[in-house]
Amino acid sequence: MVKITIDGRKIDAREGQTVLQAAKEAGIDIPTLCHHESLDPYGACRFCTVEVKSRGKTKLVTSCTLPVAEGQEIRTRSEKVKKTRKILAELMLARCPNSTVIRDLARKVGVNRSRFRRPPEDLATITDQEGCILCGMCVRICDDVMQVGAIGFEGRGVRRKVTNPFREPSDTCLVCGACSSVCPTRAIEHSRIRPQKPEVIPFEFEEGMSGRKPIYMEFAQAVPKVPVIDEDTCMHFRTGGCKVCEDNCSAEAIDHEMEEKIEEIEVGTIIVATGFKLYEAEKLSRYGYKAYPDVYTSLEFERLCHASGPTMGKIQTRAGKKPEAVAILHCIGSRDENHLEYCSRVCCMYSLKFAHLVREKTGAEVYNFYIDIRSPGKGYEEFYKRLLKEGVHFIRGKGTEVTDVWETEEEKGKLVVISEDTLLGVRRRVPVDMVILSLGLRPQDDADQVSHLFSIGCAQGGFFLEKHPKLAPVDTPSDGIYIAGACQGPKDIPDTVAQGAAAAASALSLMDKGKVVLEPVRAKIDEEKCCGCKLCVANCPYQAIDYNEEKKVSMVHPELCKGCGTCAAGCPSGAATQENFEDVQIFAEIEGALAE
Amino acid sequence: MPMSATEVRDLSKEFLEHVYAIPEGEKINQCIQCGTCSASCPSAEAMEYGPREIIAALRAGMLDRMFESNTVWLCASCYLCTVRCPAGIPFTDVMYELKRLGVKKGLYAKGTPNAVMARIFVDSVQRYGRNAEMRLIRLFFMKTNPLKGVGMVPLGLKLLKKKRLKFGVKKIKGIEGLRKMLAAVEEEEAQR
Repeated sequence: MVKITIDGRKIDAREGQTVLQAAKEAGIDIPTLCHHESLDPYGACRFCTVEVKSRGKTKLVTSCTLPVAEGQEIRTRSEKVKKTRKILAELMLARCPNSTVIRDLARKVGVNRSRFRRPPEDLATITDQEGCILCGMCVRICDDVMQVGAIGFEGRGVRRKVTNPFREPSDTCLVCGACSSVCPTRAIEHSRIRPQKPEVIPFEFEEGMSGRKPIYMEFAQAVPKVPVIDEDTCMHFRTGGCKVCEDNCSAEAIDHEMEEKIEEIEVGTIIVATGFKLYEAEKLSRYGYKAYPDVYTSLEFERLCHASGPTMGKIQTRAGKKPEAVAILHCIGSRDENHLEYCSRVCCMYSLKFAHLVREKTGAEVYNFYIDIRSPGKGYEEFYKRLLKEGVHFIRGKGTEVTDVWETEEEKGKLVVISEDTLLGVRRRVPVDMVILSLGLRPQDDADQVSHLFSIGCAQGGFFLEKHPKLAPVDTPSDGIYIAGACQGPKDIPDTVAQGAAAAASALSLMDKGKVVLEPVRAKIDEEKCCGCKLCVANCPYQAIDYNEEKKVSMVHPELCKGCGTCAAGCPSGAATQENFEDVQIFAEIEGALAE
Repeated sequence: MPMSATEVRDLSKEFLEHVYAIPEGEKINQCIQCGTCSASCPSAEAMEYGPREIIAALRAGMLDRMFESNTVWLCASCYLCTVRCPAGIPFTDVMYELKRLGVKKGLYAKGTPNAVMARIFVDSVQRYGRNAEMRLIRLFFMKTNPLKGVGMVPLGLKLLKKKRLKFGVKKIKGIEGLRKMLAAVEEEEAQR
């Protein structure tokens, strides 16, 4: 500990700290423009100047470059310091008379106008000459921290400025935006460094409707609740530099050297709950998804009306307008031979929820285009009735097309949904501001691999097959493997929660017993006869047979064997037989049956 | 004279059997009445009944209302209903089948100009092996609306001037071969 005094206050500073850091920690405000945690102190703006008294003498020093020393006496608000700051402010004001940041700062120290002349006009380069105070933070962060080095200083004295080499558009610049993020006067003009806009990284959880940083929280309820780093966009993984997040993390929890690890965990039972994927709206081009910005998938709309979503729950068009009419198209992708043959079950109810939210939040007219409203479930039909009362329009007919080609004045500038009103037998064109496609649910892309991994079957459309639809709804043909949720079939949240609990209970009851009851009939391999062809290993549908490399024979795991007999039927050397179901026994039975 | 309910029912049944005979024609039973066909149909505005209602009438055994309508004759064979149908019903083919059966049984709205047009066209092909525009126009307007035909004369003159219309018609080469082919088709049709 180093004992110093700032403005008469006794402070314990740490060895190696600068006076500025010590003051900041003690809550003493020293104004500065060019200080940044990730950059070494440089003393460029000189605004943090303080008066230091040592050995009876006083002198003016920039606090950002001054290391703390025992017995230092520092004054941050002495007349001398104030005067210096005023002169600095006047000088900066002379250079940047139009910068709001500088003007505000000058006003704070009591300066409204500058006595100094403005330096001669010069060609503006990458910075807006009105605002640049030549602190060099942009140059240093680009070179020292990002390790890109796309910009630098040019000239001397009043002609000094920040620029690209040879004033040509840079091709080394990675458009990371670090320079403009550190610039204290917000003077950087990106397009002058490289004529390319900084790319927004689409935030996956928000369905790309808002941006995220390379280090981010996947979503608010993420488990474990820790941020992740996206290696593809993180500057550290692109240039080897940056690590600004490490400098900022006071818990020192960020480790860029961390690598992906695959951990093997031994478990007794497994519950497969891999969920679903939304059907691709792009496959149904007639609804104009992506072609018209105001055609949304149901998941996009879910985020749009969510309080923590990209618009904080405000329902608005991409242009930021409050919609006057919204169409919800049911059964998109579902109940269709060309896409998903089955009813996705949840779309009706979530569509009704959307209709209610739109009505409540915007008062817009809502048109539901439906084939059948499927609202079985506790309170569901009541909710449908409530929407009818709220004045939501229901048009019985599948929304067939979305177009922006208008036929009447009313349709101008709107999206027009074309459908047959089958109850009236007429074709309708409904002009709206937003279209929501209630897309169906489909299995995950890797459902097939997962089903092979666990030896569980796939049913209708690729959803995992339960052992028995009524008597064993969460079991699978593989003992100890259970399924829950939408990976088994489209289902809503209450059903998913119930099924999850059932799967957990089933898993517990199996493990709690502490033992497994074996099938009476199961495979047996005679080691003497086995020729080690491994045919049975490949044939076994329950992965109950392994090849023993030491003995060069196949061996049965009796706890996994279901006694199906596939191995016995396929064994070329007759080594695999079924215990308690051997040929001798069967022949004896036949003989017994045929005897008088 | 209007048909009795039983007659209509039996006829609908017979028609339905013919529709079932079309490849995938039995899918007509899987129609969920979603209205995609009627909303997609470019001619639906002019039709008295949309495609969806035809299916409903077929299944309900109430085909009589369809005979009186112009629907099947307005089908432009664009196949959009077939492409989009979520139940996979080949509806354009169903339209053709209904046209054929209607003509065969003389069951179509007698004033339906499209049916008249189709007959004259087929007659032309059988006679000359090709379409004869002038003859087609002349006979069509004579049989449907001669007054309207008079109104079309100025357009006809314009077309003549630009050589888009010709008097007289030449038989194609090898018309015998075409007639044999047509006869074979007719025979097969008769056997069905």
